Amino acid sequence: MTRLAAQGITVERGGRAILNDVSLELEAGTFVALVGANGAGKSTLLSVLAGLLKPERGEVLLDGAVISAVDPRDLARRRAYLPQNPRAEWPISVERLVALGLTPQLPAFGGLPGGFEPRLTNAIAACDLLAQRLQPATTLSGGELARAMLARALVGDPEILIADEPMTGLDPRHAMDSVARLQALAGQGRLVIAAVHDLTLAARSATHVMALREGRLAAFGPTAEVLTPDLLRRVFDVEAQVTGVGHKTVVDFLAPSV
Amino acid sequence: MTSSRLPTAIAFLILLLAVVASLFLGRVNMSPVEVIQGLLAPDKSLAGLVVTELRLPRAVLAILVGASLGLSGAVLQGLLRNPLAEPGLLGVSNGAALGAVLSIYFGLSQAFPLATPLLGLAGAVGAGAMTFAFGRGGTLSLILAGSAVSGLTLAFLALALNFAPNPYAAYEMNIWMLGTLSEKSWDHIALAAPFIVLGLAILATMGRAVDALTLGEVQARSLGINLDRTRVLTLLGVGLSVGAATSVTGSIGFIGLVAPHLVRPFVGHQPSRTLLPSALLGAALLICADIVTRLLTTQNELRLGVVTSLIGAPFFFWLVLRLRRTAP
Amino acid sequence: MGVAAAAMLAFQPVAAAPSGSAKPERILSMNLCADMLLLELVPKARIAAVTYLAQDGAEALFPGADVGIAINHGTAEDIINLKPDLILAGAFSTSMTRRLAKAIGAPIVEVPDAVSFADIRRNLRQVGAAVGEPARAEALVAQMDADLATLAALPPRRPVRVIAWSGGDSVPGRETLSGHIIAAAGAVNIAARPGQTYSAIDVEELLAARPDALLYGGGGPLKPSVRGEEGQHRVLRRLYAGRRIVYSDIAHTCGLPQSARSALDLRRALDALPQQRAAQ
Repeated sequence: MTRLAAQGITVERGGRAILNDVSLELEAGTFVALVGANGAGKSTLLSVLAGLLKPERGEVLLDGAVISAVDPRDLARRRAYLPQNPRAEWPISVERLVALGLTPQLPAFGGLPGGFEPRLTNAIAACDLLAQRLQPATTLSGGELARAMLARALVGDPEILIADEPMTGLDPRHAMDSVARLQALAGQGRLVIAAVHDLTLAARSATHVMALREGRLAAFGPTAEVLTPDLLRRVFDVEAQVTGVGHKTVVDFLAPSV
Repeated sequence: MTSSRLPTAIAFLILLLAVVASLFLGRVNMSPVEVIQGLLAPDKSLAGLVVTELRLPRAVLAILVGASLGLSGAVLQGLLRNPLAEPGLLGVSNGAALGAVLSIYFGLSQAFPLATPLLGLAGAVGAGAMTFAFGRGGTLSLILAGSAVSGLTLAFLALALNFAPNPYAAYEMNIWMLGTLSEKSWDHIALAAPFIVLGLAILATMGRAVDALTLGEVQARSLGINLDRTRVLTLLGVGLSVGAATSVTGSIGFIGLVAPHLVRPFVGHQPSRTLLPSALLGAALLICADIVTRLLTTQNELRLGVVTSLIGAPFFFWLVLRLRRTAP
Repeated sequence: MGVAAAAMLAFQPVAAAPSGSAKPERILSMNLCADMLLLELVPKARIAAVTYLAQDGAEALFPGADVGIAINHGTAEDIINLKPDLILAGAFSTSMTRRLAKAIGAPIVEVPDAVSFADIRRNLRQVGAAVGEPARAEALVAQMDADLATLAALPPRRPVRVIAWSGGDSVPGRETLSGHIIAAAGAVNIAARPGQTYSAIDVEELLAARPDALLYGGGGPLKPSVRGEEGQHRVLRRLYAGRRIVYSDIAHTCGLPQSARSALDLRRALDALPQQRAAQ
């Protein structure tokens, strides 16, 4: 079972601590929603967990091994990372863009081996992009591009998926579909970590929530325990109310805290 | 996913035609029969000598140099995600010219023939490294850095010429810098080819990296691409191939810019699939430009770099205009 | 003779000199060919400076003749610092040079390019008159004419076809100094094209024209250059091994009495060529 642990992560920039002594343990089969105000350090934490940013202090352990010591290609195969607002630099087709997710598995030369074709099609279909399969990525709408990038992250069948605000730009229907996909992934035994802004969606689908406030871990635990008005006040400085349970949970923001 | 064969095959065909034309055309009229006989029995006739000692090495050198320029342009554009990147604009060609000038005019090449390609590639790598270092942060920074590095190397070049023992050095060098394939022999190829081939081989391995970079640097890293290694290898490959090539033929610009652009629409804009066709098309374009210089009889020799600039510069302007329209 | 008179008329009187027949004692030459003529006509003590280019030519023709003489780069400062009483310049001296010369009261004598032996005679006499050594100039003219007479008296053994080739950028044709030297030596210049003094000829054309010998102007210590490298294409080295005649570059660049000697040397070298060519 895949375990991803962070121990005492501290990241500093320009004398300021972006992340301050963050420790947590995540395991496969969970969908962890990362919440926090702007500038709380969410993107930085995700980069560190993905092994793409080296913290000043502390370390990240993947199955007990320090992540920076893991072979980069191996790591690339096992964990997929999606930054905020991903974009394509060349107008390649959606098909090819999604296929880039298979880079760690690909040989150095030659095109896509035949065996990968079905995986490609499945990933594209799962993100509802079959109609846009041959369309240049730069002509896609914001939401379509976001889905294409998600498909790119999923096609490699990673054990760990780390996504920074993957729902940006998605309309309600597609946002719900994406979340459902992430949830399904977790159900299949993967570890999914996603920074999200839509707390209602998070509340309904995430198994766990971790909250950051000014670089420190404010809370981490099962959704129902963590997502309380009290925490929301602490993390977002707003009065909130949480109604309903499970798939019917609704998080409402009422007024700024005084 | 196998349609990349077709553009490559077509580029190869164009190259083949260009090579054949280059062997059959020249200042001295020779019938096709003479040319073929010359190829088969080089020592028996004047035609044989002309074909095997003049036209054939010229074609081979054009292929090596054109492929270097085309492939370097394709890899640089893929690495920097910048359609304006090419060895000339990044100061690499001028760096190579500086190295070559130092070697030729200070007697180093007379003492040690390998000095010229070695200094050429050192100059190319040095200039390229400076441009990379100062040019981070988008298209504009890169082009500006390349421009600054070009200016710097040209200044050093002029300085070196001031100190050169030969008083006619400055005049000669200005002409040499415009690029030429004429009067090159197998000797020149023997000197430069090992470096060029090594550089090409290194650049040919950059396919995965440039493809992954389509998604930007962060995602490329997450896919297991070592960006630092990629940059160093690219610099090395470009420096070796373009550096050695320039040290033999002088600066030839715009091939590296134009070839990948012509290829890109036919390979679905995928960076890795532009590599081989760009090399082939670069070679073909250079041979065609060379044929033009040989057929146009002018009082003084029409320099190759002039022909490529006359075609390439308008293309560059068109590209800039198009980018202004489509990008912020 | 008329030329010498004309030169004297063009000779502007020195402002401070008491009479027009005083020999100039501080002669400044700002032109390579004028340098060479000056070094042959006048003792070192009377030369204020020669150009920085003079060294190579002097070394080839009269070694040591320029040792100890100051160098100038043809700038205004040189004129002011050296305070010459006569300036020898090329055909195109700048207006600044002329103005400065007038300001310090030094006459300027412009020595035109010499392309033919008649030109060389004219220049010798012009410069000889200007520097006050007409007798010496006549002696040099006589020497040159003697060389030319020797050449005319003995026709060449056979008409040899040659080309003066050091890289194909500019090959001298008929109305050039090289062309006249080749003609005086009795050889045929295959690069003599109607209406073109210099032409671009590439190696292919050279091979097709099949000259009997190549003339190469590298007769002095060769300074490294691109030209130097390119004049030696390996197919030419192979085909023309033993058929490459080296001449002294300066004698083909500047019209000097030594240019006739160069033609004589060329004749001897051509006569010494092996009968048959190695390849056809």
